[in-house]
Amino acid sequence: MMLFLIELWESVRDFMNAGGLVLYWLAIVLFVMWVLMIERYIYVTWSFPSVVKGAVNKWEARSDTTSWYAHRIREAWISQANEKLNARMHLIGTLVAVCPLMGLLGTVTGMVHVFEIMANTGTGNPRLMASGISMATIPTMAGMVAALSGVFFSSRLDAKVKVAGHQLVDSMPHKF
Amino acid sequence: MKTVLKSVVLAAGLVLTAQPVLAAAPQAKTLEQLLKQVQSDRVSDNKINKQREQEFLSARADKQALLSKAKRELADEKARGDQLAKDFSDNEKKLSALEEKLTLATGNMGEMFGVVRQVAGDAESRFQSSIVSAQYPGRDKEMKKLAQSKELPELPQLEDLWFALQKEMTASGEIVKFKAPVITVDGEKKEMDVTRVGTFNLLNNNEYLVYNADSGTVGELSRQPESYMTDSVKNYEDSKSGYTALYVDPSRGTILSLLTQKVTLWERYNQGGSVGYIITAVLALGLLIVIERLVVLGGMSAAISKQRKSGTPSDNNPLGRILKVYENNRSVDVETLELKLDEAILKETPRIERGVSVIKVLAAVAPLLGLLGTVTGMIGTFQSITLFGTGDPKIMAGGISMALVTTVLGLVAALPLIFLHSIVYSRSQSLIHIVEEQAAGIIAEHAEKESK
Repeated sequence: MMLFLIELWESVRDFMNAGGLVLYWLAIVLFVMWVLMIERYIYVTWSFPSVVKGAVNKWEARSDTTSWYAHRIREAWISQANEKLNARMHLIGTLVAVCPLMGLLGTVTGMVHVFEIMANTGTGNPRLMASGISMATIPTMAGMVAALSGVFFSSRLDAKVKVAGHQLVDSMPHKF
Repeated sequence: MKTVLKSVVLAAGLVLTAQPVLAAAPQAKTLEQLLKQVQSDRVSDNKINKQREQEFLSARADKQALLSKAKRELADEKARGDQLAKDFSDNEKKLSALEEKLTLATGNMGEMFGVVRQVAGDAESRFQSSIVSAQYPGRDKEMKKLAQSKELPELPQLEDLWFALQKEMTASGEIVKFKAPVITVDGEKKEMDVTRVGTFNLLNNNEYLVYNADSGTVGELSRQPESYMTDSVKNYEDSKSGYTALYVDPSRGTILSLLTQKVTLWERYNQGGSVGYIITAVLALGLLIVIERLVVLGGMSAAISKQRKSGTPSDNNPLGRILKVYENNRSVDVETLELKLDEAILKETPRIERGVSVIKVLAAVAPLLGLLGTVTGMIGTFQSITLFGTGDPKIMAGGISMALVTTVLGLVAALPLIFLHSIVYSRSQSLIHIVEEQAAGIIAEHAEKESK
């Protein structure tokens, strides 16, 4: 088991070395993205229902639910709950969008590396250029994979958040 | 007729030839005188002829003597030539015998001669490029002399070779300080304390030095390697005892001189050209707006949360200003109040949203500018191709890397701007939610509390 983990770690390190510095930034972005997404999942599935329950109870306890004042108060509560629900959702979207851009950055820095080698030693040694090319291609792939993993789950999360928001609105009906 | 013509011509010829003789003799007046004269002339002519004959005869005897003498000499020389040819062939035989004797006598010595020359040649090239030669100059010249000599090396020379090789070997394992003239970056020659680490590196004054094999001089590097490496030199030179880690150049100076060709980050940034500077300006502008927004929005949200706790509306925050509208219009009906609140909210939103979209635009513009730089760089590359052809990939590679640098810069500028835009955007959105959706609710809660 230990040996397997060490081997895994070694292969990860080889991968990171081949990809260059950009991969580390990409790893940080990916990590932050997933931490934020998991936090949102947990909030939406466990914490938010209690928020909804509290608001609904408060609403049910009100005697007046039809006046202008009641409407405004209801809207304010929904808005507050929505704000908590939607917190950092925009950041998650941004992080997903940034992943392929970081991959592109890695591509370009890798190509700069390749051309720098060409400028110094000419085209005689393809082995030297190969390191730059792997620096160019690996971040692109990693950026794509990171973005794809993020796109699927963040869109699921978006839908979940929207549904939760609508449920809140529906559970606070106006009583005429 | 023909014979008559012939005799006339002959007579004329005789007359012509006799003319000077006649002219020399005294003029004969009469025939008798002429006869006498002819007679006397004949006597004297005979005398002269006799005398000439005598002379001829004596000369002939002389020539005969000369001829016989020359013949004798020829015979002598022929005999000598035969003798010499014989000597020559004899000597040749002797020589070949002696040569055979010599090769027999040389034997293994000849092989040693070859080995010595080869080793001396190897040592010469090694000494020439070795940094040990900075400490002991002129070693390679002695080796060259030995390598090129046609004679068998003598014992002292062999010992010299041995000592030189042994010295190089010993020097490769020691770390010494010595004085040597160093050519500084400015081209001056200065006497400096140089530390030599084996055959790997020359150090001085926290810097790496290089040994120039062609001129046999020590020179400062035009560019030192990165600071963590030069720091190791400093630590090394400062240390008094024990062990200190030091970066050495195992290629004996090649990597160090290659390092001077390496492009620094700053130089690469400058390769981006004017487009690169514009991208930097875009990034700087975006960051300034972000900072301004973060400060303003942070202050605003702090003031708003303070406002929510306190009862009296204040003028220093959007929520307070909206609440003030309600305070001023307590008596009006609900519809008028809503209109008044909408008006107040409309006034507040631009202040909160200001600059946020600019950040987004700048974030979008930066990679586009990078693309622009790429295209202009490629135009430059193709121009150089039309001028110089595709023969030298270095010319093209230079232009292409210049083109790529702007792309990198564009992305590097865009990435933080996108992040920061998202942060600023979320902040402004939460404030706008408070102002647009929650302000009315807060007012309603107030009103309800008061009415109770």
